Amino acid sequence: MSNTAVAEAAGRTAGKPGYTIVDADIHPSAPAAEIRARLTGDHLARWDMFGSRVPGPPEIYPRVRNAGFRLDAWPEQGPPGSDLRLIQDQLLDEFEVDHGILIPLQGHSWGAEEPEYAAALCRALNDWQRDALLGPEPRLHGSIAIPMESPDLAAEEIALRADDPRFVQILLSTGGELGFGRRRYWPIYAAAQEAGLPIAAHTGGLEQHRGAGWPSFYLEEHVWNGNMMAALILSMVSEGVFDRFPDLQVICVEGGIAWAGPLMWALDDAWERLRTDVPHLRKPPSEYVREHFWFTTQPIEEPDDPGDLEITLGHVGMNERIMFASDYPHWDFDSPRHAPRVFPAALRTGIMGANACRLYGLADRAAEAVR
Amino acid sequence: MTAAAPAGTGTIDTDVHCAPASLADLTPYFEPYWRTYVLEGGVSLSATQGLAYPPQAPTTATPEAREAGLTPARTVGDLRAHVLDPQGLRAALLTCTASFACNRNPYYEAALTRAVNDWMITEWLDADDRLRAGMVVPTLDTEAAVAEIERIGDDPRVVQVLLPTRTDAPWGNKRHRPLLRAAAEHGLVVGLHAWGRVGNAPTSSGLTHTYLEDYLANSQTIVQAQVASLVTEGVFAELPDLRVTLLESGFSWLPTLLWRFDKDWKGVWREVPWLDSKPSDVVRGHIRLTTNPAHLPRQATQVRQALDLLDAKAMLLYSSDHPHDHGTGHDRLVAALTPDERDAIFAGNAAEWYRLG
Repeated sequence: MSNTAVAEAAGRTAGKPGYTIVDADIHPSAPAAEIRARLTGDHLARWDMFGSRVPGPPEIYPRVRNAGFRLDAWPEQGPPGSDLRLIQDQLLDEFEVDHGILIPLQGHSWGAEEPEYAAALCRALNDWQRDALLGPEPRLHGSIAIPMESPDLAAEEIALRADDPRFVQILLSTGGELGFGRRRYWPIYAAAQEAGLPIAAHTGGLEQHRGAGWPSFYLEEHVWNGNMMAALILSMVSEGVFDRFPDLQVICVEGGIAWAGPLMWALDDAWERLRTDVPHLRKPPSEYVREHFWFTTQPIEEPDDPGDLEITLGHVGMNERIMFASDYPHWDFDSPRHAPRVFPAALRTGIMGANACRLYGLADRAAEAVR
Repeated sequence: MTAAAPAGTGTIDTDVHCAPASLADLTPYFEPYWRTYVLEGGVSLSATQGLAYPPQAPTTATPEAREAGLTPARTVGDLRAHVLDPQGLRAALLTCTASFACNRNPYYEAALTRAVNDWMITEWLDADDRLRAGMVVPTLDTEAAVAEIERIGDDPRVVQVLLPTRTDAPWGNKRHRPLLRAAAEHGLVVGLHAWGRVGNAPTSSGLTHTYLEDYLANSQTIVQAQVASLVTEGVFAELPDLRVTLLESGFSWLPTLLWRFDKDWKGVWREVPWLDSKPSDVVRGHIRLTTNPAHLPRQATQVRQALDLLDAKAMLLYSSDHPHDHGTGHDRLVAALTPDERDAIFAGNAAEWYRLG
């Protein structure tokens, strides 16, 4: 499809999109030297001797080609996502992205290290985000990486960054040592609510498979991302997180969306039968889901008939809470120019930016024009 | 749960639970060593089947089944009086999951599953010719499982090998292949049924505090991982005649799983070269799902949409899941079916799938 046709299909006016573009999932990656330079004392010694003890998911399920990255995303030095110039060239400038939300996945593994070391690593990662990306490039907004398995220290990191408007959310994974609804993690949610920041739960973290057993292939693991996200929702809702933290907002990043409808049907049916088991839930669980969760688009489900996606999003009933994401610089990158074709026409402006502007309090091009 | 076809319509019910009241019922079917093992070790059948069915939980039994003492049915006489005769069933597939919650001793599991099978054949199948059964097999010893299939798999009344969905390694894993091959060679359907071994956490990150979260893991996560495993590992490419039924695991989640699965396969097909067609096509050719629990929306138009996305007429097999009570979803399902769909789902599909003639 030519660019002209795409522009028409996506409802763009000549050249410039008629809507604000917010990319809710951009992966920066800090070069090792930049982290090392920000460590001292015992933590530096541990870094040099032991590195990271938490295995990253690609060690268990290798990404089939080019280590899981876009072929063209490697800067001359360092890993994809480490070079601001390339992020600007390939993403922000290329697609006229108004706002980009950074999700540094190194925090997923580092957040589960020995507690004090985890806190030091996450602090270094957040400082690097600020120094290397957020400071020089105002279109980018950061996520606070946290030592999630040491929630008291995580709360300290959140409080430290709460007054820095360049950080717009708190980064959580979907794979914790326990289900993220557990009370053990509640200090994180208390700090988030206090800071007025949403939690972004991005696919990944600790790789464990205790229900059906360990799969063998990346294909299975990638399909499982949606199920891990469903498990996160089940855990947070059934443990009563949202009764305790009524203002908390949680974004499901990179887990798909369409499964949430069937999940809510199952939740409501089960709740009707099992209210004695969850007396703290005061209304059908689907209402908690619709009041507290958000979704990002990449990798959105793509049925053969796009009309089926529209039907399914109707079942989910959360169209105002869906946000575009490119997943740059990963292999399954969704282009801000082409992706809107997949979204129902009536939802494009909201998904491409307006919904995210509302959640994060970002400037909305359309709203500015009206003013 | 309450909706069954009117009497006399020839309904086939693909998931009717029965269980021994206690291990004493199985004593005649144990070797002497295992009688002693049970007696001296204080081994018993879990009253909750490893937390799967808390006796007083509303999901465990309908009021009618509870009133009749069928939680689940313990004798063929009770089943006949309360289910088979009043509902005019043409056939019922018995599901006994009592061995699912076994301890970790693989030799005991082999003895227990063998005893359950002999109890089922002698006390149920021999007593009523409307009954068919899923046989159980040990899950920790593939050779023993194959041997058990060789032993009784040719009995025409045994139509299915029942496996728990909660496992140490998913069923597509290479280590399980001889078991699946034996089932296929004997013309047996492999029935993956909700729940599994006691102490096996339902979530990736461990045990749950609430039963609700545990219960929903069956349909929302675990069974879906099993489907992904079977297809990804090329089970159906290697065993093209294998049929798999997903029991008590829901069905409304299937379409969105398949969209995700197809999309991911298009991206990383190089990893699994033996998978040479779309995962959704493989699933639709080799897998069926039973109707209870029916997790469906509240609006009739959305129910219809959900059934169309699934292709319910082709994919579903009616199950009462007696005595379990999953709520009102099944009524919404039945209300939405066309007469053709109803015929297929309540009888035709199961007759063909299980070769009931």
